[in-house]
Amino acid sequence: MFLIKKLSSFATVIFGVLLLTFLLIHLVPGDPVEVMLGESASMADRDTLRADLGLKQPLISQFGRYIAKLAHGDLGSSIHTKTPIIDLIKTRYPATLKLAISSLIIGLVIGIPLGIYAALKANHWQDFVVTMVSVRFSAMPAFWLGPILMLVFAVWLGWLPVSGMESNSSIILPAITLGLGLSAILTRMTRTSLLDVLHDDFIRTARAKGLSEQTVIVRHALRAALLPIITIVGLQMGSLLAGTVITETIFSWDGIGRLLVESIEKRDYPVTQACVLVVALSYVLVNLFTDIIYRFADPRVRVSA
Amino acid sequence: MLRIILLMIFCLLLAACGKPENIGEINFAIAQAPLNLDPRYATDAASERVNRLIYQPLVDFDAAMQPVYVLATSDTSSSDTLNEKSYRFTLQKSATFHNGKTLTAHDVKATYDSLLSLKDSPHAAEFSNIERIKVEDEHTVLFQLKQPDKHFVAKLILGILPKTLIEKNHDFSHQPVGSGALEFVSWQNKLTLKRTGDNQIISLQEVKDPTVRVLKLLRGEADLIQGDLPPELVKHLQSKPEISVKTSVGANFSYLGLNMQDAILKQQKIRLAIAHAINRQAIIDKVMVKNSRVAAAILPPEHYTNLGVSLFAYDYNPKLAKKLLQDAGIKLPLKLVYKTSTDAQRVRFATILQAQMRPAGIALEIRSLDWGTFFADVKQGNFQLFGLTWVGIKTPEIYSKAFGSDFFPPNGFNRGRYADTELDKLLANEDWPAVTQRIHAQLPYIPLWYEGQFAAMQKNITDYAPKPDGNWDNLTTIIRSDTISNHAN
Repeated sequence: MFLIKKLSSFATVIFGVLLLTFLLIHLVPGDPVEVMLGESASMADRDTLRADLGLKQPLISQFGRYIAKLAHGDLGSSIHTKTPIIDLIKTRYPATLKLAISSLIIGLVIGIPLGIYAALKANHWQDFVVTMVSVRFSAMPAFWLGPILMLVFAVWLGWLPVSGMESNSSIILPAITLGLGLSAILTRMTRTSLLDVLHDDFIRTARAKGLSEQTVIVRHALRAALLPIITIVGLQMGSLLAGTVITETIFSWDGIGRLLVESIEKRDYPVTQACVLVVALSYVLVNLFTDIIYRFADPRVRVSA
Repeated sequence: MLRIILLMIFCLLLAACGKPENIGEINFAIAQAPLNLDPRYATDAASERVNRLIYQPLVDFDAAMQPVYVLATSDTSSSDTLNEKSYRFTLQKSATFHNGKTLTAHDVKATYDSLLSLKDSPHAAEFSNIERIKVEDEHTVLFQLKQPDKHFVAKLILGILPKTLIEKNHDFSHQPVGSGALEFVSWQNKLTLKRTGDNQIISLQEVKDPTVRVLKLLRGEADLIQGDLPPELVKHLQSKPEISVKTSVGANFSYLGLNMQDAILKQQKIRLAIAHAINRQAIIDKVMVKNSRVAAAILPPEHYTNLGVSLFAYDYNPKLAKKLLQDAGIKLPLKLVYKTSTDAQRVRFATILQAQMRPAGIALEIRSLDWGTFFADVKQGNFQLFGLTWVGIKTPEIYSKAFGSDFFPPNGFNRGRYADTELDKLLANEDWPAVTQRIHAQLPYIPLWYEGQFAAMQKNITDYAPKPDGNWDNLTTIIRSDTISNHAN
């Protein structure tokens, strides 16, 4: 029942996104014919191509045709490169996925332990240091942090490549650039939510039972503090899968975010539509996955559902 | 746990340590990757620059921008113009495609016929005057036109494709097969080409961010970068002993476009005031690369149509500009909206122009728009002033298309909607010196500069220099010295 409900809302959101994107793209000045034929083409040539592409039909028929093609897995071709869009997505999305997962791992590995440490040392100098560092990390924009990391680790130390996707180590710097910002958010969130539960009765009971401090923190306190952290991780993962344009651009990382922005700049409408669809699907799937994890993390969610 | 993570990171860094291994290959970091390697579709500068290397056209241009034969023989006894409606070309007998097939007149006919049959090619309209193409023998082709066109030869710059592959609907956009100096190898994250003469591998990789291009060059991941850098980064590279920076004059014309249907800007006195309100030389000296020069016309002074023509550059004279505005009855400050793209250098120019125009009584409001919106506004005439650059212009026909009254968009590039019967007559007579002088006096564009070209490369890279229009033709001659020793070994 839970899954049916979720999947029906999933379908509604995707349909809404498709309709909105389609309408918005048709409201933007200019049309694909203008982009394809340039400024020298005659009016007759423009009219012929417009008719061939079905752009003279009513908007509702065009949308119907678009949905019918989509149902057959046909996303069309890029206006500029003539590449089938499905091929572009197949090459770009895995790159984004790889970067998103790597950044998330870095964020989790740094953020959660630091958050726990800060909570356990609340109001001591260690807590202030961790809080200050995490604020600094979250305040560093990718367009600044990325080149600084390149300068230090690639140019000065010569340890890592500056940019590109040729070697396995190429992912380290972009993943750190994204992961550090994420770790800062997770540190603060873990600290706050752990502090909220550390003074609860069930923690006092656990301690009174003689459980070790490690067991109390990891098995009791952290589990109870996990829900807001899962929410943040879900939201951040959604953003990462939507593509992180600045980081992808700086590091020449051929991901979906860069493809989306470039298609908007070049008015490559079919590519824009397809990218928005993929991004929307990612968001919806991550949210669905987050909801499922909630049910495992907190039995109260299962009961209320 | 923390120790294990640190150990893993250390191992990863150790594994990645060291200089990049790109021995033998020449890596060229470019600001924008080509979009389409089929010359029938390509319109962006990067695609056209790469296509010049992969394909060969019938004609190209010399240093004075006169058409010269490439695939056609330059022997006038065998390659000639019959009249302005028929053009016969005799082809080189030695030209072969990268797939080993000989290039013949059938390939020329198939290329242009296929272009004309494409409904979605941006170049098809340019050749709509072709009535038919006749193959007279294996190496002779005759173009017959519907209307006389004495500039037809200069239009035949399209790369020739093999007929057999055209018939198979080969995907030239992604797997080009031409007869040029460089042969296509692969195109995934980077475009890899091989020089046919010596098998030198040259790869082109898109690196959008200018700072990152510079860092890649300093790290040795790139051997060569060209253009699209702010001058402070060029100066930084010039200070590096391991990098060599070469500059050349530019031929790409930057200008301010004006909306001639605007009640204020249609007055010539006001356009003259704007021309005198810009200190071009100061901008060139302070924020542009070496070898940039003040412009007076779209086509540079070395163009054959400018021989014997002397055009002065409008000097910076804010007092005169202010007086001209007052004489025209304008209440100062004159408020004008200037549209430009979001490119950092363009925005910088805009802010300098704004400051320079202020003493002349012109209050410039800058609107920086994303490229798609900006260019759509320019084509639709939705502007007062805009800044753009004409890239790679070679033929004087540009004057008709940019200023002829029959060439308002969508029929041409007269985006300012300039209508001048006197100029139309001169254009019809193709009196280019008079056309140039008329445009210079009437100022439908405010000329700015030809930005100098530069290329920065590793010290072991030789035989490469930037070209005035920014093309990459010298990749056909570039040498990487360790490659020579490798070959020798």
